Amino acid sequence: MRTRIAAFVILGGLATTVFTSTPAFFDDDPISREPESRSAANAKPLNIELFFEYSYNLFVNASRRPSERRAGNINTIDEVPDSSWFTNRVGTTPISPEQLARGVNSDAAPAPEKWVLLREKTAGTNPGFTARDANGVTWFLQFDAPEFPEASSAAVEIATKLFWGLGYNQVETFITRFDPAHVEIDSKATYKRPSGARTPFTRDDITRILERAARNADGTYRASAGRLLPGKVLGSFRYAGTRSDDPNDLVPHEHRRDLRALRVFGAWTNLVDWKAGNTLDVLVEEEGRSIIKHYLQDVGSSFGMANNLHEWDMGWEYYYDGPAAKRRFLTYGFGLSPWQTVPYTSYPSIGNFEGDRFDPTIWKPQTPVQPYIEMRADDAFWAARRVMAFSDDLIRAAVHTGQYTDGAAEQHMAAVIIKRRDAIGRAYLPAINPIVSPRLDAAGRLTFQNAAVDAGFAEAPTSYRAAWLRFDNATAQTRPLAETRSATTSMPAPTELASIAAGGFVEIDLAAESAAHPSWNVPIRTHFKRTADGWKLVGLERMADRPAANVPAGTGQRP
Amino acid sequence: MRRIAAGILFVIAAWPSAVRAQDEVTSRTELIEKEQDSKAQALKPAAPGKAEAYVTRIADTFLSGNMHWHAFWQNAYSGGGFTVGAGYTQFVSGYNTLDVRGSITPSGYKRLESEFIAPELFGRRGTLNVLGGWREATQVGFYGFGMGSSKDNRTNYSFTQPYLSAQLRVFPTGRFLLLRGGLEVSQWKQGAGQGDVPSVEQVYTPQTLPGLGAQPVYWHSQGTVGYDSRTSPGYTRRGAFYGVTVHDFTDPDGAYGFRQVDYEGIQHIPILREAWIIALRAYAQTTYEKSGQQIPFFMMPSFSGGGDLRAYASWRLRDQNSLLLQAEWRATVNRFLEMALFVDGGTVSPRRNDLDVKDMKTDVGIGFRFHGQLATPLRIELTRGSEGFGLVFAASQVF
Repeated sequence: MRTRIAAFVILGGLATTVFTSTPAFFDDDPISREPESRSAANAKPLNIELFFEYSYNLFVNASRRPSERRAGNINTIDEVPDSSWFTNRVGTTPISPEQLARGVNSDAAPAPEKWVLLREKTAGTNPGFTARDANGVTWFLQFDAPEFPEASSAAVEIATKLFWGLGYNQVETFITRFDPAHVEIDSKATYKRPSGARTPFTRDDITRILERAARNADGTYRASAGRLLPGKVLGSFRYAGTRSDDPNDLVPHEHRRDLRALRVFGAWTNLVDWKAGNTLDVLVEEEGRSIIKHYLQDVGSSFGMANNLHEWDMGWEYYYDGPAAKRRFLTYGFGLSPWQTVPYTSYPSIGNFEGDRFDPTIWKPQTPVQPYIEMRADDAFWAARRVMAFSDDLIRAAVHTGQYTDGAAEQHMAAVIIKRRDAIGRAYLPAINPIVSPRLDAAGRLTFQNAAVDAGFAEAPTSYRAAWLRFDNATAQTRPLAETRSATTSMPAPTELASIAAGGFVEIDLAAESAAHPSWNVPIRTHFKRTADGWKLVGLERMADRPAANVPAGTGQRP
Repeated sequence: MRRIAAGILFVIAAWPSAVRAQDEVTSRTELIEKEQDSKAQALKPAAPGKAEAYVTRIADTFLSGNMHWHAFWQNAYSGGGFTVGAGYTQFVSGYNTLDVRGSITPSGYKRLESEFIAPELFGRRGTLNVLGGWREATQVGFYGFGMGSSKDNRTNYSFTQPYLSAQLRVFPTGRFLLLRGGLEVSQWKQGAGQGDVPSVEQVYTPQTLPGLGAQPVYWHSQGTVGYDSRTSPGYTRRGAFYGVTVHDFTDPDGAYGFRQVDYEGIQHIPILREAWIIALRAYAQTTYEKSGQQIPFFMMPSFSGGGDLRAYASWRLRDQNSLLLQAEWRATVNRFLEMALFVDGGTVSPRRNDLDVKDMKTDVGIGFRFHGQLATPLRIELTRGSEGFGLVFAASQVF
């Protein structure tokens, strides 16, 4: 029993797996911050080869079956603690529209009066430079394609704000202006030729790059500028395994909930390009220690702005999608795929992005990384709640940072993101027992919320059911106390609860009875510790590894 | 239980040092820190695995400009059969390349040439190709002139040809408008054919076959005006090409000079987000004799086989004018594979006004193309016409 509790909750129950001498819950549970206690100063840069990565993802990962393993970086109440990967923001912390619009940007925007070019942009399809602005700050500039003015730069801005709000480390980005008339070339600047040689950067190289960029009427160019990150760049992070040179990196990345949740967040924003090259590990000094901070450094391949607008299957199929290809092959293309008929409202500044036919459960990135495969229903539920925490105002604030000159385009973009947000909530919140925020007050009254019902995506269940068990934190043994029911999200505790003294624990298995949602019959498992002030929630498992004794047959553990 | 056991094993394997920590752990944070401490004692460099490192080396070779050797599948002349060849490319500057290549077929077709390519002229709007080489074709089919010729009347001829040419292609507006001009000097040395069928001089005489045995030197100049909206000539799912090319073949001896005008129209019509593409092509070649001169039979318009009248032998039809109509219904399987159902029709005639679609030889077929965004490295087609089946292997898009 205690083994079952602990085996999969890496941050929440590690020691109890192996040793019976340690408790199921420590005094500091649930932790709110993943410790990073050791120096990673000796970590070296790592290059991840794109072709190998794509091939592995498409031909190995695509046929991989999920391990069903619980996420490894969650605390004992099923939440993701802050870490060098992730910081809880929207959904846990009050974030105003103004704060979201500012996002990670804490310093001044580029000073575009003069640019000094250092080198060309080498990754991605959009043209760009690395350059210093008039203040001597280094930026990565990326321009829009001529056919789609504003689209790429707006996508970068908006996605950066949304992913910052979701909790990911982001690069400071601004929309700026690039005037070729006020450009200098650094004396050491070079350009890589097709021959492989790096030769001095020339004026013609500027022209060469800008030929592929959307030009403003006044001869300037709109660009997205990403600030050079502080610290030592260590290359990309892998979506599987751990860094062998980072002592703080304990949880295999495919089992990090913050990475698994990208399946939901990626669907929301249509972030299709999950290649390692769009991530970045940076060695930084924090609290006197060198730690590796993990960034989603390029989330601009969102909102249908991946490579070009003729890649209609983006978000619908992998680069190579065996079953879909087989269907088209055998039917000579008559076995249509959804992307072939889905209507898009056309704006030059917005990619192929829509919210009416969007189904997050079938959404696909370009290539499937392991966390995408490993996402479980509880991960998706967690992610969906984070998405649903973005109010319409927050979304509009993020979209406004895209600085569309066409107000209709801005409104359309916001409307689609809102529709897709709701589609995610509708898909994932009712799919699993949606009881959230359980509280047991000092008077012994249990209250909670139903995330699916509260969001309007499901009818209230006919009743809620709670199985109360005395829980021995030292041995993890349980002893039934009572069972209570309620038609509402509040119910009194059984009188037996009074027998638990301060420092004692109660386990409550909470289920909902709904004919429309049989999966709600599978209870979430909660643990409360009695304190001097009342009861403290110390444990929550949405998909408990130990089945509850009172689950009706046929409901299944996984919805 | 299996899942539980797997979980236990997972945790044990991942955190072996927990054993040492058991007596000291008093908090979750401390427990994790001890695990981090344990890992800190056994750090290893983050390095790619063997397979990834190998692929990285290959990719670096391709992308670094150090990939010099390449396959070369183009034979000396259509109809030569399976071709093997290789080339060596060297950058002579940041963008310009020099390629030396050669190929050979079992039937003795040989090509050896070198090409200089400057792809970034006139602000990246022009490309200059300078090509020089020598080729030999040993058994080129000649079936007689016109639509009344028979496949049973095949004769063979051979030729060798040294050539030197320069061609400049310019998109003056950046795209769409194409201007192309070129000059070539070469000598066609037509000779006896090899193979299982009679050599051409055994059946014809210089009086019955113009240019038989001729070895003219040509100064061949040409100019093209075209509209090209394709994403790439090597592979495209949309766009069109419409162009007219005027050729002048000047024979300094004044015996075999002529002019030729080619008309070509290609249109790709994507359907349902390029799930299907209707691809259409019309191509006409018309020749004009110069006063007092003849057009040698081996210079007359014809169909080469694998890319035009696909069920028929190479050079099966030949005359002073030709018309080719092709239609393909292409179906996208995925980003790299495309299928096609197609029909070809071709006709030739001595007079332009006699080119008639009713007299065309036609074929139908199915094809599979492995392609990238810009090129079609492999095209396989099975086709059937009135003279039998054809199987095409090619390393280029048909149109």
